[in-house]
Amino acid sequence: MSTQETRERLELLQGTLDMLILRTLIFGSQHGQGIARAIQQTSDEELLVEHGALYPALQRLEERGWVSAKWGTSSNNRRARFYSLTAAGRRQLVMETIKWKRLAAAIGRILDPAKEG
Amino acid sequence: MFGRKRQASDFSAEIEAHIQHESERLREQGLSEEEARAAARRSFGNVMQAEERFYESGRWLWWDRLGQDLCFGLRILARNPGFTVTVVLTLALSIGANTAIFSMVNALLLKSLPYSHPERMGTIYTRVTGPAGSDERHHLNGEQWELLRDNVPALISAVSGIRASGVNLEAGSQVQYVHAGRISAHYLDVLAIHPIIGRNFSDAEDRPHGPKTAILNYGLWRNAFGANPEIMGQTVLLKGEPHTVIGVLPEGAIIPLDADLYTALQPSRQGEGTGTNFEDITRLRDGATWEEADAEINRAWSLRTQRYELENNPGAGVTYYSVPLQKGETAGLRPQVLTLMLAAGFILLIACANLAGLTLVRVLRRTPEIATRLALGASGWQIQKQLWIENLLLALVGGIAGVAVGFAALRGLLLLLPEHFLPVADVSLDGRVLAFTLLVSLLTSALFGMLPALTTREFDLRSSIASRHSTGGDRLRLRQALITTEVALTVVLLAASGLFVRTLIHLQTLPPGFNPTGVMTARASLDNVRYHDAPAFRKLLNESTSAMRQIPGVQQAAVGVSLPYERSLITGGIAIGDGKEAGQKVMADEVYTTPDYFAALQIPVLAGRSFTEADGPDTQRVAIVNEMFVRKFFHGANAVGRYLDKDTMIVGVVENVAMAPGIDPVAPLTIEETMYVPAAQMEARQLSLLHVWYQPSWIVRTSGPVEGLTAQMQRALASADPNLPFSGFYSMRDLLAKTLATQRVEVALLSAMTALALLLSAVGIFALIANIVTQKTHEIGIRLALGSTIRQAMIHIGAPGVRASALGLILGLILCAEALRAMHSVLYGIGVYDAPTLASVILILGLVTLLATILPTLRIARIDPAKTLREE
Repeated sequence: MSTQETRERLELLQGTLDMLILRTLIFGSQHGQGIARAIQQTSDEELLVEHGALYPALQRLEERGWVSAKWGTSSNNRRARFYSLTAAGRRQLVMETIKWKRLAAAIGRILDPAKEG
Repeated sequence: MFGRKRQASDFSAEIEAHIQHESERLREQGLSEEEARAAARRSFGNVMQAEERFYESGRWLWWDRLGQDLCFGLRILARNPGFTVTVVLTLALSIGANTAIFSMVNALLLKSLPYSHPERMGTIYTRVTGPAGSDERHHLNGEQWELLRDNVPALISAVSGIRASGVNLEAGSQVQYVHAGRISAHYLDVLAIHPIIGRNFSDAEDRPHGPKTAILNYGLWRNAFGANPEIMGQTVLLKGEPHTVIGVLPEGAIIPLDADLYTALQPSRQGEGTGTNFEDITRLRDGATWEEADAEINRAWSLRTQRYELENNPGAGVTYYSVPLQKGETAGLRPQVLTLMLAAGFILLIACANLAGLTLVRVLRRTPEIATRLALGASGWQIQKQLWIENLLLALVGGIAGVAVGFAALRGLLLLLPEHFLPVADVSLDGRVLAFTLLVSLLTSALFGMLPALTTREFDLRSSIASRHSTGGDRLRLRQALITTEVALTVVLLAASGLFVRTLIHLQTLPPGFNPTGVMTARASLDNVRYHDAPAFRKLLNESTSAMRQIPGVQQAAVGVSLPYERSLITGGIAIGDGKEAGQKVMADEVYTTPDYFAALQIPVLAGRSFTEADGPDTQRVAIVNEMFVRKFFHGANAVGRYLDKDTMIVGVVENVAMAPGIDPVAPLTIEETMYVPAAQMEARQLSLLHVWYQPSWIVRTSGPVEGLTAQMQRALASADPNLPFSGFYSMRDLLAKTLATQRVEVALLSAMTALALLLSAVGIFALIANIVTQKTHEIGIRLALGSTIRQAMIHIGAPGVRASALGLILGLILCAEALRAMHSVLYGIGVYDAPTLASVILILGLVTLLATILPTLRIARIDPAKTLREE
């Protein structure tokens, strides 16, 4: 517990939160806190998701029509707003993912040229 | 509709749910209830901020902010009434001028003609290459017309007479002087106008000697015939001949040849058809193209036997091509209207320069406010937005006021124009004009808002918060540059309108060659079968003039087919009968007169004699020529006793009089070579043709004002022929005004705009100096305390204004050198580089600059050096 608190986490790069949210939702609908947990866990606790930033981001995605939301009941019987991916969101995710992979590969080549055959 | 679907409370509920989930998770990891909740909150961060960000992303906010900015803008503007009123007035006047002039451009050059498919309507231009080249709309002769009608199947073609002429309309016991236009069979078909009752002219009616018929316009039908539909098929006497009424035109129908009623032109190659006396309009038939039509016209007209275009221009190439009817109809007014539009554009630029200066000063003065707002966290963009919103507000209010000013200016402008001056029915502020005004307003705000906005971008918060004073002295150069620009533009306008004024003065003070005061004239139509007979014509002139001479106070009475200041008949092929010029054919104005014509107008007889009663139909044929005729054709030698056309002897030489040009249209008033012949020696053949186009004038000279002169003249005419109405009565001054109408309008409009430009420039200089005085009050106080005189201080402060204006003057004069050359063709009697005009420009501008500089510096005298020192 305490190690978790002191370990320095990576802050999210500008603009990547949207992509990560969309990616998380690919497995089915989820509420905000669930999304935050999922991102944190899937990244082996490397990424820090500031919860306060998450909701405005979700709001933005909803306004763009990439996710849809409705109130429901969570597994522990609490009310929560559940987000799910729309078709447009799915397309957006594919695009973002491709873009991100190209970017990451390019940066990787620069930082570690030896790896390139 | 604009609102988000989600309420802020819903968003808060979601955050609350999150925190509960999170604290539950933490509790499961072993934290106490309280610790878990605190940790959840901590990891969430600032709830308030998240809620704010949620709110900010909403569209409502955008409107809220705009509303706030607008309110704030309005408050700021209301708190500076002086500034606001100056800006709105400047905008109203400059945008108003642009709106008014643009509505003319719109009506004349942009709006489609009020006919169906106006893009399929045209007229034919003639392009002549070679030494005497030209490219313009030509009138057609009879041969051209017949070839056009028969050999150009791509077009429906029609012709009309060149202008409507006055004729007498007798219906029942009523006689009325009306304007009759003559149009060919398919003229109304080309215009796509159908009579509301009856029909258009048929081909048979348009053939020479065909049945005589008439079509009334709506106004005449209503006024003279009480809108009686029974008029159809009835006979009216027109020019003394019976005509059957076959149609009535719809109300408000616009015919290029404006008239009260129309008769069939009956064009042929004979008579008037031997000359170019027809004006064509065409409409493309369905399925045809303009290229086909032009090819057909060129093919058809190459077959002509008489190629007048090639006379005096050997080896020239001639091609014909169609242009849109709109262009053909407005070609004459196009340069004038575009000049005015250009002038209006100048006004707008001057206004923008002024407003840029004003807003710049105001922004600089608001430095403390802006600094405070920046310090409190406003972003640069928010400050910019606020400034732009204020500018837009000003521009829109100014634009609305401009539309009102433009509307009033347009009404005034149309009142100024003579009737039927414009070839369009209506000049209105339509959607296009309003769109233009809106665009101009936005453009203006962008132009005058740009400078201040740019200056705030490099705003240094630290230094401006630190200093108590508003900075801004360093912007002096920028403001001087603005003043220089507007003064330069003003100089060009001033010079241009100065040249117009000088032209008008030149034309109005042109030696008339006769005495115009105390002369009353009236026109009557003799295009009448009764007067195709020469003795009847002579009897009418004799009896009517002697009756008029009986009117108490009348000194002389005479008749002439045309008057000074008017156009007159041009006769070509007059042969010089003897001497070394024998056989030479010349062209001159020809005017028939009764013997008293020269005495009544007081045209001096320079040599020989005037006409007398003895010059009759059976005596020696005589003529009197003017001095110009002698100079041009006899090289100044004595002309009395010489012969023209073998049998006509020149018996006198008279002074030149100013005429509207016919032979060579170089100026609105000119001196033309003129030949006068006695009315008594006119032959019936000449009379009937001449009176189709020209209505002779009765001229009466009185010693002083005569009570009821016009009524007595009408009675005198009636004593000779009770069925002959006068068209109306004109003094020579009226005729002069009519001839110079275009020039008067030009002068009035351009002068008004120049005055506006001058006013704006003066306001600009005034504002600059006044601002410097306010800013430098402190400095001036110290200068005065150190022993500077008030005069020295005034010069020190006023110098930047004078320098900027002087530079503008020089720049403007350089611009003039280029710009004024384009005016060459509309100036008469003066050169483009007219010394008096340029001298007045410099003088006026100098005076205005001095006034605008001195007035604000007078405040220096009230500065108290002691007070300044105490403050220090």
